[in-house]
Amino acid sequence: MVPEPAPTGSLVDPTLPPRVGVAQLLSARDAHGGQAVPARARLVTWLRAHLNLIARLLAIAVFLGVWQASGAFLNPLFVSTPANVVSALGSLIGNGQLPAAFLRSLVEMIGGLAVAAVLGVGIGLLMGRVRLAEKALDPIVAFGNATPSIALLPVMEVWFGIGMAARVAFITVICTWPLLVNTYAGVRAVRGRYTDVGAAFGFGPWRQTWKIYLPGTVPFIFVGIRIALAVGAVGMILGGQEIGQSGLGGLTADFGSYSETADLVATIVTTTALAILLFAAFRQLQAWRFPWIAATSAGRRGSAAKRGSIGRRGSR
Amino acid sequence: MTDDRQAVLEYAGICKTFPGAQRTVVALDQVSFHVRPGEFVSLVGPSGCGKTTLLRITDGLETADRGTVSLDGTALSGGSQDMAYVFQDINLLPWRSVSKNVELGLEGRRVPKAERRARAMEMLEMVGLAAVADDPPYTLSGGMQQRVGVARALAVRPKVLLMDEPFGQLDNFTREALQVEIAELWAKLGTTIVFVTHDVDEAIFLSDRIALFQPGPGRLTEIVEIDLPRPRSGYDIRAERRAIELHAHIVNQLGVGMGTPAAGAAR
Repeated sequence: MVPEPAPTGSLVDPTLPPRVGVAQLLSARDAHGGQAVPARARLVTWLRAHLNLIARLLAIAVFLGVWQASGAFLNPLFVSTPANVVSALGSLIGNGQLPAAFLRSLVEMIGGLAVAAVLGVGIGLLMGRVRLAEKALDPIVAFGNATPSIALLPVMEVWFGIGMAARVAFITVICTWPLLVNTYAGVRAVRGRYTDVGAAFGFGPWRQTWKIYLPGTVPFIFVGIRIALAVGAVGMILGGQEIGQSGLGGLTADFGSYSETADLVATIVTTTALAILLFAAFRQLQAWRFPWIAATSAGRRGSAAKRGSIGRRGSR
Repeated sequence: MTDDRQAVLEYAGICKTFPGAQRTVVALDQVSFHVRPGEFVSLVGPSGCGKTTLLRITDGLETADRGTVSLDGTALSGGSQDMAYVFQDINLLPWRSVSKNVELGLEGRRVPKAERRARAMEMLEMVGLAAVADDPPYTLSGGMQQRVGVARALAVRPKVLLMDEPFGQLDNFTREALQVEIAELWAKLGTTIVFVTHDVDEAIFLSDRIALFQPGPGRLTEIVEIDLPRPRSGYDIRAERRAIELHAHIVNQLGVGMGTPAAGAAR
């Protein structure tokens, strides 16, 4: 049994007989001393409270340390070193190369994602709401969803030429499927309790679609967007590498072919930063505009686990 | 039964079956009766007796295989703007604020925006929830949520209010408080109410008449007149001699197993 960290004294009355339990005995003795908690004990308490953070920082430090040390006996061509990567990052930002590539990739990603959202949500909603559209499009969607989108990269080149249009189109093609499939599944899942409300209060098919089905499907659309962000980022880099070398993908191809390893790693780190930025922005959007998604799913989880208990707010 | 001339709602030969893979469930078999203007009628019976199905057919959420539902002498197909529904699981839309939920039925009836808000606030004041008008519904307790559900239905000023086990998911204290509230609202507004429940005490407390349903096939077996004076709140009506007699009669009619949820099929 691990003893509790020593309390500040007021919690345990030394005049009371000590109760059972090692923790109580230990803390009671500390309090009985009547002095300030010793510095060593305070340090132990602090370390214990921040154990996770310390472990994390330590792991990163070890990783960077080993990497840096590897530079002494490995050819820097293979992995470079953290110090070199940092200086490469500095000069690439300084000469404007990295910011320009970052911006270009970001624009292509957002463009592709936006078109994919319109297509995916639109077609998913159509298939969920119109029986004939569902029957007609089902085989095409199944086929398209099963096709590895990477294979379509040359097709985009043929259709749109070697340029930004082809890269955006490639990201669109990749991102449309998860959005479409999730929207479609969402519309079918919404059918029932909420659509009964619309029907009971005189909503026609059109109003049902916009006022009940679409908002009800938003949690599913958000799942689709999360997947689209992940696969879209792959498309963003691949498109940049393969279609006319542009943006962050183009830089990685460039630096890779000249074996500029420090520059290459700096670019990869920037790519990761871009992906994290997109995910964070998306999470902010959800918390800001759609707080009900987290609140109600937490409530559902809570009521499933323990009937009548207060659902805990969605901490993950 | 009695004269049909003053019926606001009339059921004639309603039949409904749910075909299934293993067996076909006859939810309703030749159900005929009528509801008078301003009357409070409860549909009572064990699970699977078709009472909720009948209510859903009334509002067009389900279609009958045979038979007609008439409102003021006109046969309905697919519900009516003159009726409103209160759901067992409340079903407030979580992406709308409380007042926007109350406005829902007014949107369906193309009421102008400013008037919608005013009427929603009026209804929320009536159920004592004007203070939470702009809150999201999931921050409210179950009892408060169902008050919003009632406000949402009353906002469209329905001729007939359909309530499907509206207090079934609430705890005992909240349920009894809402029973008193709905009795008072009904007395004040004069709205006709058709109320589904499997709680015999609840039905006796609220109703003018109780329609008893039995399962397998779902059918109407008897209509019991509740000749107890009103108002019935302020004392425990369950202890009244006449109420005990009525309770005993109803339980007896519905047979053993009433109140045990295991009896009968789902729905």
